[in-house]
Amino acid sequence: MTEEDKLLEEVTSAEYKYGFVTDIESDTIKNGLNEDVIRLISSKKNEPEWLLEWRLEGLKKFQQLVEPEWANVHYKKPDLQSISYYSAPKAKKTLNSLDEVDPELLKTFEKLGISLDEQKMLTGVAVDIIVDSVSVATSFKEKLGELGIIFCSISEAIQEHPELVRKYLGTVVPQSDNYYAALNSAVFTDGSFCYIPKGTRCPMELSTYFRINQAGTGQFERTLLIADKGSYVSYLEGCTAPSRDENQLHAAVVELIAMDEAEIKYSTVQNWYPGNKEGVGGVFNFVTKRGICHESAKISWTQVETGSAVTWKYPSCILKGDNSIGEFFSVAVTNNFQQADTGTKMIHIGKNTKSTIISKGIAAGESNSSYRGLVKIMKGAENARNFSQCDSLLMGDKSGSHTFPYIEVKNKTARIEHEATTSKIGEDQLFYCNQRGISTDAAIGLIVNGYCKDVLNQLPMEFAVEAQKLLSLSLEGSVG
Amino acid sequence: MKLQDKLINSFEKFGQSLSGSETDSLRKMRTEGIEVFKNLGFPTTKDEEWKYTSLNKCIKRDYDFGAEFSLDIRSEDVDRFLCTGIDSYKLVFVNGVFNASLSNTTQQDKFFVSNLKDAYEGNSELFNQYYGTIADKELSMVGLNTAYAQEGAFIHVKAGAVVDKLIQILYINSDSSRSMMNQARNLIIAEDRGEVQILERHQSLSDEYVFTNSVTEISVGNEANVKHFKVQNDIDTASLVDSTFVKQGTKSTALVDTFVFSGELTRNNLHFEFTGEHAEAHMDAITLLKGSSLVDHHTFVDHAVPNCQSFQMYKGIYDEKSKGVFNGKVMVRKDAQKTNAYQQNNNLLLSDFASIDTKPQLEIFADDVACSHGCTIGQLDEEALFYMQSRGIPLKEAKAFLMFAFAGDTLKNITIPELKEQLVNLVARELKVDLELN
Amino acid sequence: MLKIKDLRVEIEGKEIIKGLSLEINKGEVHAIMGPNGAGKSTLSAVIAGRDEYEVTGGSIEFEGKDIMDMAPEDRAHAGVFLSFQYPVEIPGVSVTNFIKTALNESRKARDLDPMPAKDMLKLMREKQALLEMDKQFMSRSLNEGFSGGEKKRNEIFQMAMLDPKLAILDETDSGLDIDALRIVANGVNKLKNEDNAVMIITHYQRLLDHIIPDFVHVLYDGKIVKSGDKNLAIELEEKGYDWIKKEIEA
Ligand SMILES: Nc1ncnc2c1ncn2[C@@H]1O[C@H](COP(=O)(O)OP(=O)(O)OP(=O)(O)O)[C@@H](O)[C@H]1O
Ligand SMILES: [Mg+2]
Repeated sequence: MTEEDKLLEEVTSAEYKYGFVTDIESDTIKNGLNEDVIRLISSKKNEPEWLLEWRLEGLKKFQQLVEPEWANVHYKKPDLQSISYYSAPKAKKTLNSLDEVDPELLKTFEKLGISLDEQKMLTGVAVDIIVDSVSVATSFKEKLGELGIIFCSISEAIQEHPELVRKYLGTVVPQSDNYYAALNSAVFTDGSFCYIPKGTRCPMELSTYFRINQAGTGQFERTLLIADKGSYVSYLEGCTAPSRDENQLHAAVVELIAMDEAEIKYSTVQNWYPGNKEGVGGVFNFVTKRGICHESAKISWTQVETGSAVTWKYPSCILKGDNSIGEFFSVAVTNNFQQADTGTKMIHIGKNTKSTIISKGIAAGESNSSYRGLVKIMKGAENARNFSQCDSLLMGDKSGSHTFPYIEVKNKTARIEHEATTSKIGEDQLFYCNQRGISTDAAIGLIVNGYCKDVLNQLPMEFAVEAQKLLSLSLEGSVG
Repeated sequence: MKLQDKLINSFEKFGQSLSGSETDSLRKMRTEGIEVFKNLGFPTTKDEEWKYTSLNKCIKRDYDFGAEFSLDIRSEDVDRFLCTGIDSYKLVFVNGVFNASLSNTTQQDKFFVSNLKDAYEGNSELFNQYYGTIADKELSMVGLNTAYAQEGAFIHVKAGAVVDKLIQILYINSDSSRSMMNQARNLIIAEDRGEVQILERHQSLSDEYVFTNSVTEISVGNEANVKHFKVQNDIDTASLVDSTFVKQGTKSTALVDTFVFSGELTRNNLHFEFTGEHAEAHMDAITLLKGSSLVDHHTFVDHAVPNCQSFQMYKGIYDEKSKGVFNGKVMVRKDAQKTNAYQQNNNLLLSDFASIDTKPQLEIFADDVACSHGCTIGQLDEEALFYMQSRGIPLKEAKAFLMFAFAGDTLKNITIPELKEQLVNLVARELKVDLELN
Repeated sequence: MLKIKDLRVEIEGKEIIKGLSLEINKGEVHAIMGPNGAGKSTLSAVIAGRDEYEVTGGSIEFEGKDIMDMAPEDRAHAGVFLSFQYPVEIPGVSVTNFIKTALNESRKARDLDPMPAKDMLKLMREKQALLEMDKQFMSRSLNEGFSGGEKKRNEIFQMAMLDPKLAILDETDSGLDIDALRIVANGVNKLKNEDNAVMIITHYQRLLDHIIPDFVHVLYDGKIVKSGDKNLAIELEEKGYDWIKKEIEA
């Protein structure tokens, strides 16, 4: 037993490796939330009148809502008046090449192992980097432009393509959707925008790295992704945040629109600062992600969540069109005092709609991990299909794992299969690995990665490798 | 006046006339019970545990709740609701009052089967030791029941005793002049190594509305074995909220099987709690619904000690406008290592207007456990149907056979042949299966 | 190489190995036979360092060093290999990935850099060929859905990759078909040399037809009750264990 305790101690003591602060001059608005702040944000960003109205509407909705408490997470509610709602690096507004990017920032990316050059040269990934809410560098734009693909920051889209933004913003996640979505609607400062024209297959993985940098700033990005009829896009979102002692709030909204026969693959690797071993600090990650599928369209959400002190996130699909497909593949690892309440909602409205849910939760230390999901088959959804598999792995007897699936069926032709298991890593598996000379922490990395394989397989190659590393890293110290 | 207020007011006015003298602990319990009910009121769909089941229709009606002795019931009237062909002990309650002439009680050295009120008056020591200690006092429906409960089954099995016959508990409502709300209350105590099997049923003979709020407490001693079968086949003016609480000692086995065929609204709350290790709990249920019946099965298995096992198998077939709810929660607490918890919920929807909401939950705080739940919603296996048709079995019969097989699994733990046969017949009749062919 | 002295082992308060001594020198092949439940697998697991078993007495030395307090992976790094009677399934982890990890961990323990991918592949191909294994096999999840024989062959493949000093084969022959038995035995013989040793746990003569033992021991009720040369195995095959039991009781 003491042997095992020692082992657990080891396994649970990998400190956050990405914890460092970038010293960039920032332009920060005074703390607080009120109408004036929103007018200030809007004017700073030189926004059209309709958007200001829309934001103010969001604020009004927000003030009517109360912070949700149903999730299985416990934390001190962030003081929304002590947050600054706008923080932009003071560097030049438009950048033409990497040389113009703040060298401090480039160093940061190097530490993260995602230096722009490397990204650009080696992987052919177009990266739109968001640091504290304002896009500072965009690459591969010309190439995408030739295909009519728009990939830019949402601020830019508001200036350049207001008709598209206006048409779709808030159509999947309305301002009044929930407390944090309303807050986001009022105060979002930046995010990504993407439009894939009819029949176009986006030739590369589109990628954005989010980072929370300035101490005491909340991050409220807004992402809007529209795949027009018959188009295809794969979008990657990676997040890391430096160590901070106080909790930082991250309340993003992502809206996906998949028109007829379009396909969107949205992958996230989330590694925000989880707080230290004592559970101090870390990011509050309260995110609303939702997509709508029109006829024969498909949306796949894939997520690997290893970071944040508190996560509250349910990437969802509204399967509105007939024959549309929704997928959710998730790995959530919690350690120390992290709490994650995550899952998905699959709303079947159209006929012959299909959804698949694969969720793997791994809880170590004194952390808690919950799966919460809804599969809803509406009356008109003839022949709907759902398959769900929710597995949890527990490491150590101080962690908790919870499963809360809701299944609501109003059509007799539906076929639903839901399975869930909870177990711990087998002693015999560990011994087998040990016998072959594999140390226990390496064995845990190996077994956990195997356990999550069905999800990791969904990720694009470069991302999968990083995700694997993150999994091992967040569960132990030595595997690289 | 709203039913809720009426219940509260009436308690204030007439509460004194209920059994339990001023200084008594029972009196105290009643007062606490009504307080809980006063604070919480009837559950609403805003309450997560009642999200899918609304009591609105039931509680909008007006009910009387003064129990009344009635003479107009003869044994021929009740026999068809009992398991026949075997010798059994019987406790029959008519309109909330114990009816000795229809019952067959016993007071032996080793065990006794009697009315709760008599037990309270005759053996208050035993009564006080157990009564109200197993049910969850924080629940409003339990509070309401505790405030008003007067009569019900009291079964006491002493250490090492085996009750030689099935015990049947039947609650009859025959009052055709008024709508009734009943608070039935059962206390079942099996001491160490005791064994007992019980069949419970609630039945209305009148066209008036009946709303029964029943609470059952079952204490299962070390190495004891208790089986409790519930047949819920009431008419569609009858609603039932049944809350059953089971507490199990070391190496004990307990089983609660529920068979639901009709009734306007049926809500089953089934709580299992282990106080000793190596105990085993079984819950099986068949729900075969038609019309606009609603059944809500809520189970909660609390694994607080190590090395216990729980098995749940809930099967439902929903036709016409019926609605089913299953909410199964398994809690494995911090030190409950080596817990084995298994839960299965399978449903068939037969009609365009039927619906099912299901929510199987696992909450796990111990790592060395094997817990799983599975849930399916669907139709009959097309391939099996085709296979049977290709062998000349008409589609209708083929379907009935497959449904019978689907439901049949849940009868596996019934060991009394007569009871099993009668339940099989009931299922077969509901599914229109000709057993001669089977 | 391996020196076991008066070993006593308990599990859940029940004594299973009851004072067992055994010495294996380099270059030797030892066969251990004995009825079901005699403690053969227990012995092999204890040598490999499984902590579920409680060693209550005696000692185990490997290459002159007491290994009793060593972690299983350290014993593996020192050269102990156990082919499991029931190899464990690890879903999602491919054979390739597993053996790569195992090999590089052993190298790390010897302060060597990870083996370059090219060399690793070459080595795998070579050993695959030795055991006549299918290429596709390598990308399947470890032991998951493997047939009984495939599991055993995979164990010997890993042994070939890791090149241990002492190989303990716990009923490696059970589940193998006639051809596979020959292939696996061949593989073991090819790996066998003057510097290593093999301990074969088996119930049948058939494997010993291929891998000729220098010594045969009978393990009965937690002790080695009889030792002999290869002829003892043949005698056992003919007569069973009854005569030995009688001998002991006498
Ligand atoms: N984990 C355990 N818990 C309880 N008893 C055990 C355990 N492992 C082994 N035993 C018992 O120890 C005894 C020896 O088992 P072992 O597996 O070593 O036998 P064996 O000689 O390898 O038999 P076989 O020829 O059948 O493989 C048996 O009685 C077995 O039941
Ligand atoms: Mg063995």
